[in-house]
Amino acid sequence: MDDDRVFKALADPTRRALLDRLFARDGRTLGELEEGVAMTRFGVMKHLRVLEDAGLVVTRRSGREKLHFLNPVPIRRIHDRWIDKYTEGPASFLAGLQRSFEEEDRSE
Amino acid sequence: MSDLSTQLYQVLLRATPEQVWEAITSPDRTRLYFHGAHVENTAEWHTSRGPDGADWGDGPVLEFDPPRRLVHEWRSAYDPELAKEPPSRVTWEIEDTGDGSCRLTVVHDRLDDSPRTARSVSGPGWGTVLDGLKTLLETGAPSVSAP
Repeated sequence: MDDDRVFKALADPTRRALLDRLFARDGRTLGELEEGVAMTRFGVMKHLRVLEDAGLVVTRRSGREKLHFLNPVPIRRIHDRWIDKYTEGPASFLAGLQRSFEEEDRSE
Repeated sequence: MSDLSTQLYQVLLRATPEQVWEAITSPDRTRLYFHGAHVENTAEWHTSRGPDGADWGDGPVLEFDPPRRLVHEWRSAYDPELAKEPPSRVTWEIEDTGDGSCRLTVVHDRLDDSPRTARSVSGPGWGTVLDGLKTLLETGAPSVSAP
């Protein structure tokens, strides 16, 4: 099942960090993605491979370079299937309440 | 702020390339998943109209290679603020994966000078459209209720 691969890919802090970096700036080379990650090139490639298998990262050639793009569609599907239904109604009210308390804490 | 000048979306569809091509070029299909838009793509011109016939954007078709590749200009005429921005470009690529499925990749680029359009189509924008297309092709169910 595709969803399993997406959840598995997201269940790792390094892979989430790589997605965050692509969200901040999309279309990066492997070299750019290696920078600032305390990991070997092989390690980063392994993580990118898992993200690609889950469809979360898509690569495209641009001249000589291979660029990595974030593909948000699988996350959208998970959001619609798993998040939406649990956040409607009382759960979303409580989450909103919690957020407003936290914001009050910060502003004090 | 995220850089949105080139956006890429990819989805795996259990359908033939011909079915996908028809779904992205025929207004009778697009109105069922594309925010209700009646989108028509011929070899020359891309036209998008609202359910009431209003101009939602049009532009030249730059590449037309059924059932594999379609490239057209994008103009966001559905919103007066966005309509002022320069046209951008949308590329549709359909790859047969050989097992009764297709991989559809949509690249929306040349958005450098159209930041409002870029924000408007990003994330849930294209995500919702492609998710709706997948549901339509795989289950026959429309994601936009016909007016």
